[in-house]
Amino acid sequence: MPERNVWEAITNLDELEAGHKQAELTLDNCIKCNVCVTACPVAAVTDLFPGPKYEAPQAGRFRQPNQPPTDHSVDYCSGCRVCNMVCPTGVRIAEINARARGTIVQQGGFSARNRLRNNLLGRPEMLGRLGSPLAPVANAVFNSSVGGWFAEKLLGIAAEAPLPKFTRESFKRWVKNHKPPATATRKVVYFTGCSTEAYEPRVGRAAIHVLEANGFEVLVPEQNCCGLPLLSNGEFDAAWNYHQSNIDKLISYVKAGYVVVGTSTSCTLTLKEEAPELLDFYTDDARLLAANTYDINEFLVLMLEEGQLNTENLRPIPMTLPYHPPCQFRAHRVGRPSVEIMSIIPELTIIESQAACCGVAGTYGYKEEKYQIAMEVGKPLFEFVKGVDAPLSVCDSETCRWQITHGTDKPSVHPIELLAFAYGYPAEPPLVYVLPH
Amino acid sequence: MIKQNDLLVIGAGLAGLMTAYQAASRGQKVRVVAKGWGATHWHSGCIDVLGYYPVDATGPVVDLKTAVAQLIADNPKHPYALVGLDGLQAALESLQALCAEAGYPLHGSLETNWLLPSATGTFRPTCLAPETMIAGDLHQNDPMLLVGFKQMPDFYPNIVAGNLNKQGKEARYVMLNLPMLANRRFNNAVLTARMMEQADLRTELVTALKPHLGEAARIGFPAFLGLHQAMMVKDALEQALGRPVFEIPSLPPSVPGMRLHQIFKRAIEQHGSYVYDGMEALRAERENGRITAVLTEAAARPRRHRFEKYVLATGGILGGGITTNIDGEAREVVFDLPVSAPDSRLNWFRQEFMHKEGHPIYRAGLTVNEAFQPVNGHGPVYDNVYAAGTTLSHCEVIRERSFEGVALATGYKVGISI
Repeated sequence: MPERNVWEAITNLDELEAGHKQAELTLDNCIKCNVCVTACPVAAVTDLFPGPKYEAPQAGRFRQPNQPPTDHSVDYCSGCRVCNMVCPTGVRIAEINARARGTIVQQGGFSARNRLRNNLLGRPEMLGRLGSPLAPVANAVFNSSVGGWFAEKLLGIAAEAPLPKFTRESFKRWVKNHKPPATATRKVVYFTGCSTEAYEPRVGRAAIHVLEANGFEVLVPEQNCCGLPLLSNGEFDAAWNYHQSNIDKLISYVKAGYVVVGTSTSCTLTLKEEAPELLDFYTDDARLLAANTYDINEFLVLMLEEGQLNTENLRPIPMTLPYHPPCQFRAHRVGRPSVEIMSIIPELTIIESQAACCGVAGTYGYKEEKYQIAMEVGKPLFEFVKGVDAPLSVCDSETCRWQITHGTDKPSVHPIELLAFAYGYPAEPPLVYVLPH
Repeated sequence: MIKQNDLLVIGAGLAGLMTAYQAASRGQKVRVVAKGWGATHWHSGCIDVLGYYPVDATGPVVDLKTAVAQLIADNPKHPYALVGLDGLQAALESLQALCAEAGYPLHGSLETNWLLPSATGTFRPTCLAPETMIAGDLHQNDPMLLVGFKQMPDFYPNIVAGNLNKQGKEARYVMLNLPMLANRRFNNAVLTARMMEQADLRTELVTALKPHLGEAARIGFPAFLGLHQAMMVKDALEQALGRPVFEIPSLPPSVPGMRLHQIFKRAIEQHGSYVYDGMEALRAERENGRITAVLTEAAARPRRHRFEKYVLATGGILGGGITTNIDGEAREVVFDLPVSAPDSRLNWFRQEFMHKEGHPIYRAGLTVNEAFQPVNGHGPVYDNVYAAGTTLSHCEVIRERSFEGVALATGYKVGISI
């Protein structure tokens, strides 16, 4: 890897890591040591999922082309990827499971109602486009007990599940009216993600402020859903289209030398790895986009390591806050960048969760048949968050934040919101309500 | 702000964790990167220092200190020779202090070995054992009762008792039916260990067990007596049963090994250093005889780690630190350091599977100098690379039963002197 500034994109294909191995080919690495089974947060709470080893390397051996699925229990894999992280021999367990689910979908193994439900949950972008313009009405309906009852009975969406609230002003509209500072010396592309676009634009505003405070002009080009919710529901054809479309919209920026950063850590992971790996999508453009996409804190910590991050005159946040690194963030395999970034904020103390998973795993915990499992999985995390005497928690992933709030009754913010405040950006709700004056 | 990055440790087995713990507690900023959980989750949770010496001796080592001294005299390149008897002792005492502080004491010393029952009822010589295991010591003749659970298939007390009887030890077994364990169709050691921390399962266990106690003076269980609160579980059972209880390590994953992993990890993190899973070291970047960075596998592109010094604690062929190809060449996977190994695949093994002198490939590993820097014919290969644990050559940790001792002692020595 030649040296270059973090914000300079790799545009030469020869510099990309060579080769990739199809996930299924790693199953022979399994030595049956059961380490993954002991780490799996789902198998810890339910027999409906016997454990990673039984699904990926074992049942995987019996999955053959044009054969009926061997095990429907693989649908109970939440895709958290904790198994991958602990496997001592490099089996791509979570990916094998996700691809097995894709095959079941292709073979018509899910009921029509569940597929309809999964396709709705899998399209946050569409929901956002429908919901945002009607935000007050849509929020009232979705969050009412009657709406919840109908969602569960008709669609199989758990009535109690923590549905987010639509925002009135989409992020895109805010960006249109935002004036970038004249002092920018370099450019970076921001990948918004559906949640920032339709539910939590405050996260995007914070990210833009942080990047601008570091001398960037932030470009927010046309883009779409990363496709992860569809991937994790086995809807691979639709996910393929989303990914192709993002490549088409973003690749010219990458080729012009700009990298892509995002605050939705599972979206960035999808662009980097999930979409290419699950879909066998390794065109040159797909590989270039993957190699030049960063989670925002991953990006900032690389700048910090090079001494290029603005750490001057930060506003202190005299608080002690619990922080949960989401599974999808850990799955980037870049360490704990958010903790390192938050450590530059004066007077802020972060207590890091040791819990495996919040349980929700994207759309998993929204499903009627999985809601209870998700709440059981999240229990140790909820206990941890409640145990810290703090008015809110911090987490990088939107669905995790909503789940933690659901399990603790405390609001949850993205680390970038704290950093934006430290850089002088006015805090927004819910952060503004709890900051000491 | 320039970040302090002193030491990158590659591998989170006992050697890597001990190195990191020693360096971190001396104020160094350490990062441990590991491909996954391995060594700690596979080993017994005891510390074997030297079980048999010479390795083909008919009985286990009794006078441990003398045997180690003899091994050092006989094999001046053995890792124990590099750390010395004092270094080994200090490493063991350091681990004992750490575990005692965590409320999970390890007992034993270099005076002699414990003889603990294995999961097949053989005698297992080991130097340090957790307090949850020592009542099983076979130097004692107290009759024992071995307990298994119908709902937990990873432990067979009938085999343990049968083999102990054949060796003149009084042992009975009982297979208990615990309906609470049947709540789960798929039981494993960790689930059971967590459930043991709940009073209601223990009550069910004690009630079912009491009628079978008979003359038994001590009660053996598979090593699932609690994950985070093993001492509490042991004390509670002893109080309820009125006699000592002990654990026998069973199939992996090993709950006692996980306890040590957690104790180390917590101690390292308390000193502001970190242990990362899922980060496989791929290769290194070098300049003028120094390593400037190590790259680990990550989503879409490798993660670069720039540190002052690097410790390789990736294990041998089993641990993945050394790999071999079809031609029989052995290769160290991160820095491509020279490996001493038979030069041809034909010379890996002797004709007899159970040959008294073992198989040459089992001694494959790195040769290091007194500072634990891997060397080639001319001296250290890199100024700032060190190696610890079973990636080292000139030892045969499985046959010697010195696996954990070599890992801890070399990790300790590197950690305190780096």
